[in-house]
Amino acid sequence: MRKLSFEPSRVLIYLVVSLLAAAYLAPLVVVVLNSFRSNQEIAQASMIGWPKQWAWSNYAAAWSGFCVAETCTGIRPYMLNSALVTIPATIISTMLGAVAGYAVSLWRFRGDSWIYGIVTLGLFLPQQMRLLPWTVVLRDIGLINTLTGLVLVHTIQGLSFTTLFCRNYYAAVPHELIRAARIDGAGFFRIFWRIILPLSSPILIVTVIWQFTHIWNEFLYGVTFTTGQQQPVTAALIALSAAIADIPQHGVQSAAVLIAALPTLLVYFFGGRYFVRGLTAGAVK
Amino acid sequence: MPMTITRRRLLAGSATALALPALVRAQSGVKPRLTVISQWSAGSDGAAITALGKKFEEKGGIWQHSPVPGFTTEMMNKLRAQIMAGDPPACSQLKGPEIAAWSKIAPTVDLDNLVAAAGYEKVVAPDLARLHKPGGNWISLPLQIYSTNMLFLSKRAMDKAKADKIPVTWADFNDLADKMKAGGVAYPVANGGTRPDDGQKFEAALAGISPAAYRAAIVNLDEKALKGAEVKAAFVQVRKIADWMDPNVGAQHFSTNLKRFIEADMGMMIQGGWAQGVLRNAGFKFEDFIIAPGPSDNGKPVFLLNADAFIFWKRNEPDLQAGQTLMAQLVMDPAIQTMYSQITGSIPVRSDVDLSGAGWSDGQRRTAAALKDAVASDQAVLSLAHNMAQENGMTAAMIDVITEYVKNKAMTPEQGVARLSDAVEGAR
Repeated sequence: MRKLSFEPSRVLIYLVVSLLAAAYLAPLVVVVLNSFRSNQEIAQASMIGWPKQWAWSNYAAAWSGFCVAETCTGIRPYMLNSALVTIPATIISTMLGAVAGYAVSLWRFRGDSWIYGIVTLGLFLPQQMRLLPWTVVLRDIGLINTLTGLVLVHTIQGLSFTTLFCRNYYAAVPHELIRAARIDGAGFFRIFWRIILPLSSPILIVTVIWQFTHIWNEFLYGVTFTTGQQQPVTAALIALSAAIADIPQHGVQSAAVLIAALPTLLVYFFGGRYFVRGLTAGAVK
Repeated sequence: MPMTITRRRLLAGSATALALPALVRAQSGVKPRLTVISQWSAGSDGAAITALGKKFEEKGGIWQHSPVPGFTTEMMNKLRAQIMAGDPPACSQLKGPEIAAWSKIAPTVDLDNLVAAAGYEKVVAPDLARLHKPGGNWISLPLQIYSTNMLFLSKRAMDKAKADKIPVTWADFNDLADKMKAGGVAYPVANGGTRPDDGQKFEAALAGISPAAYRAAIVNLDEKALKGAEVKAAFVQVRKIADWMDPNVGAQHFSTNLKRFIEADMGMMIQGGWAQGVLRNAGFKFEDFIIAPGPSDNGKPVFLLNADAFIFWKRNEPDLQAGQTLMAQLVMDPAIQTMYSQITGSIPVRSDVDLSGAGWSDGQRRTAAALKDAVASDQAVLSLAHNMAQENGMTAAMIDVITEYVKNKAMTPEQGVARLSDAVEGAR
């Protein structure tokens, strides 16, 4: 390992970076502290402050206590709903995106760039614009108000991003590799499976992180295309925030937000390590 | 007991409704069922709708409530999706002019017979009643009322100002604010920074100066009234209010600053009646503040109405139709309205409910009395800031101007008037 240097320019850089990091982390610190303060304490003092009494009960309430109208289950079942939607949608859209990206970047066929263009057009359509078309589609195939319908929506919506990511990554793969494999008699899927996929872990992990985070945090489709007890965790979180004649439930809300953020944090945490490893795998030869 | 009579009337109402062949089928032997969409999920709102559901079940019904957490847009997205899917809820929460707008999208239920049987029309404020029968027939029923222009006075700030008189007119209000400032209250007017906040100050100002001008300019969008002297006077008043506010309050919920209000760092709060529940739930004492109707220059209370309501969507299933009948009867029932308002801190829509009993707060009694007086003198008008006066798009265009006016002190009242009428023209 290199020795730490104490040149003035280094110290300055660390100082600036630490300050920026502190500024970015400050809101998180407020949320973490508030997750240990009772609602009354926050209302009587201020949004920002050190807990006078550590209110651990916020976490219990957030996990399995608070009520969304008639049902008092906390965010637990909604976390499960989110997982049931996010995990399949992430895996399917990533795999389909990898195949599609591979096809449009390494194979030439009639209209390939058009297909790529149309698929990526999905990136530029605002969510609200697609809401009604999706309503019609889900109605016609009978999947409205089901988690399966939501998986379908997120899988197809995700294709634009996953195809774009994978296509750009595969564009750097030398065509000779593919040609050599074809001479050896490998077909479309064999090449994908044996040659391309083993090269793909960095981009697949980036794609998984991206998809997982987006689908987990998505609210509009989740709240529109599911109902009652099937709603995703984002809907349950919002349910905590809207009450007109009450003080906002900042304490329970903070605890719930932190719990709900855990899965995405874990994906970053583990994925990020693989990501760096994957990026640097071929660096030293 | 007046309630028994009402119950009997309601029974008579059901009998009238039974005369309709469709409803005869609906009532014969099926268990009433109701699918409901609302945004009420948390805190007292969630508790109140849950209690209503329990009452529905006690009457033998099946209650299927799907809360759509979030704001009105989310609920409307959900409603639109359900309507397009051919599965509208039997009943959904909707308010203000959106009732008229949405009733054009899908068929609704004619509730006239049920309303007549319950004698509901007589006990509902006329401006409010009109909103709920857009095509001449009742298709929706208001459930509870809040006033958006109640005046909350901090006791300690009053002490600092050495004042004990509750301001009646805007001149009294301005006088008291000056005294508070002189007495060391840093910001005589408390504020939050969410969208309705500035709008509430403007509507309180204009309606307090002239309810007639408010109705013409804001509710009917009359061009002459929009450019009239009263609207300008309201902008002048709002400028004064803005100068007394803390400019460093960002997009905060008003409740963030309640401690400063109670401790006389801020003096007066123009808020909805719901702020009373918020203060109480935050652990502050009733002795720490006073609630009064918002300033009114002619001395008679002005009431800015904000009301929650249910709209009923046409369904052909007999059990859902029976559920709609039962729900309509429950919503109009004084006992149910009492139960609901006591949970949420609102006041009942029915003007004939007696609020003297325990379970009601002084604030609620004062609000109900203000409504009664305001209706008598035709001074109960629909709130702009809370989407009662205009549809969402128009409301947003108008509130944008008001918010800019509050924040930008370089804008003159004349410019405010011009910009407001331009915004209305643009959004029409």
